[in-house]
Amino acid sequence: MSSRRLPRLLQAPAVILLLFWMLVPLGMTLFFSFIRYVLASLNRPEWTTPSIDNWRGFGNYAFVLDSKDFLFAIQNSLLIVGGILFLTVFFGVMIAVLINKVFPGQGIVRVLLISPFFIMPAVNAVLWINMILDPVLGLNGLAIEGINSVIASMRDAPVVGWFFSLWPEFKPISFRATQTSAYAVIMMVTWQWTPFAVLIFMTSLQSEDEQQKEAAILDGAGKWSQFRFLTLPHLARPMAIVVMIQAIFHLSLYAEIEIVSRGNGNKNLPYLIGEFANNNIGAASATGIFAVILANIVAIFLLRAVGKTLME
Amino acid sequence: MAIVAQTSKLGIYGRPALAWIVALVFFFPIFWLILTSFKTDADAVKPEFLFFFTPTLDNYLNMTENYDYWRFATNSVVTSVLATGVALFVGIPAAYAMAFNPARHTKDILMWMLSTKMLPAAAVLYPMTFLAKSLGIFDTHFAVILVLTLVNLPIVVWMLFTYFKEIPKDIIEAGQMDGVNTWGEIKEILIPLAWGGIASTALLCFIFCWNEAYWTVRLTTTEAATLSKLIEGNRAPEGLFFGRLSAVSAAAVGPIVVLGWFCQKQLVQGLTFGAVK
Repeated sequence: MSSRRLPRLLQAPAVILLLFWMLVPLGMTLFFSFIRYVLASLNRPEWTTPSIDNWRGFGNYAFVLDSKDFLFAIQNSLLIVGGILFLTVFFGVMIAVLINKVFPGQGIVRVLLISPFFIMPAVNAVLWINMILDPVLGLNGLAIEGINSVIASMRDAPVVGWFFSLWPEFKPISFRATQTSAYAVIMMVTWQWTPFAVLIFMTSLQSEDEQQKEAAILDGAGKWSQFRFLTLPHLARPMAIVVMIQAIFHLSLYAEIEIVSRGNGNKNLPYLIGEFANNNIGAASATGIFAVILANIVAIFLLRAVGKTLME
Repeated sequence: MAIVAQTSKLGIYGRPALAWIVALVFFFPIFWLILTSFKTDADAVKPEFLFFFTPTLDNYLNMTENYDYWRFATNSVVTSVLATGVALFVGIPAAYAMAFNPARHTKDILMWMLSTKMLPAAAVLYPMTFLAKSLGIFDTHFAVILVLTLVNLPIVVWMLFTYFKEIPKDIIEAGQMDGVNTWGEIKEILIPLAWGGIASTALLCFIFCWNEAYWTVRLTTTEAATLSKLIEGNRAPEGLFFGRLSAVSAAAVGPIVVLGWFCQKQLVQGLTFGAVK
């Protein structure tokens, strides 16, 4: 066998599998997005089988663009992804700088910090929305009930009682409404992905130029200007990578939304596709194509950044 | 020295103290999950038992009865192990060829593989369901393993490639001189040399398979349902079963969190495709 053919042969299974994975389902989605296709219809049974005869052109796309849900889902997707990105990068940089120096127990601190990243999304969502954020039975509700009962008992106390009688009853925030459940999702995913950002920034900080830093210190640079003019520029590239990788993961966020929202109106693109797919496959497919386009815009930037370092 | 003088007392004690506080805050939800798993369902929702209560093991002992835990756990183990195995079996030869016999298009192929990872799963939800149902593999281990393999193959190939690249070419070429065939080269030379890299790739792939929560939820109902599906199906919005739900959740994530501690470093490389060093 020639030396050229063999490498190709070795790559073939991986390439063919991924080619199948990419082309077949995506091709079907593209096809379904241009036809009328529903799972059940009493009046038009012919629409329940995918066929070129039911051609609808861009009708599904127009239908999706016109629906209120679509605009809301896009807005909500961007709010959730944007919120998570901002918070994880901010906390990630702060924590990475904080724990980068050697101190007693650094190893244990690292292990504790990284743990949330390995929690499965379904458990993450169930844990946060029930055990922690539930306004009555979760820690949120229990803690506020506890505080209220302490205040109530203090009202009868001598001397300081009048002071506590001025206090209002605290009310826990519910995270099950449309808007607040989006915040709940941001909170739980930020908790899960901040460790990832910390890990990457720490890896990058270890390659920071110590000599440059020492020179800056000798020149009288304060802590803030060291951070602002040396550390931050050094972290620019890892930050870009953290942002792009997370954007790709969080644009397809699903389990968290599914568990937290339960039909309360808080939806993102994948959730909306799931809703459409209960019956209107044409609309689900058109929404899917929009999701692919959105992901591609992010992906192009990421691939460029990664591609540069690829063959070094 | 100027550098020493800058480290104040606050720096010596303040930084570790703050770091510990941050770490404990981040670990708290996991601690809370574990703590709740030792409470009875009734105690779990009473403010007077927030931290002080009579611990019980019942939630763990009754996991099989309450949730059929072991069936889902077995499914998770079987699908994750086999998907990881298949991904390595397909990925090792591919990464080997790319690292030691790079062609003009190798870089493009790698980039393209990576780009398949960026395809939003929801976009192909219905076609996958349709294909699985019409091929009669819906809710089977086979379908779950196939999808988990495909989803993780790009990361596996990419990680292996970055590890293999570090191995000096001469060693592999020396093997070729000795007339060892390709399969022998992979088995006798490459795998022993890159053992550490292959192991951490496998570990990371296993973790991703275990935690996958889109396809395992959408492509299964009962037979092949994994732990993700179990938890997703028992979200208990009324908070009736916080104790037992915490126990089954802790059992579902426990092994993976511990495994995860051992592959922090590889995680960076695996998730950033070697772009952060």
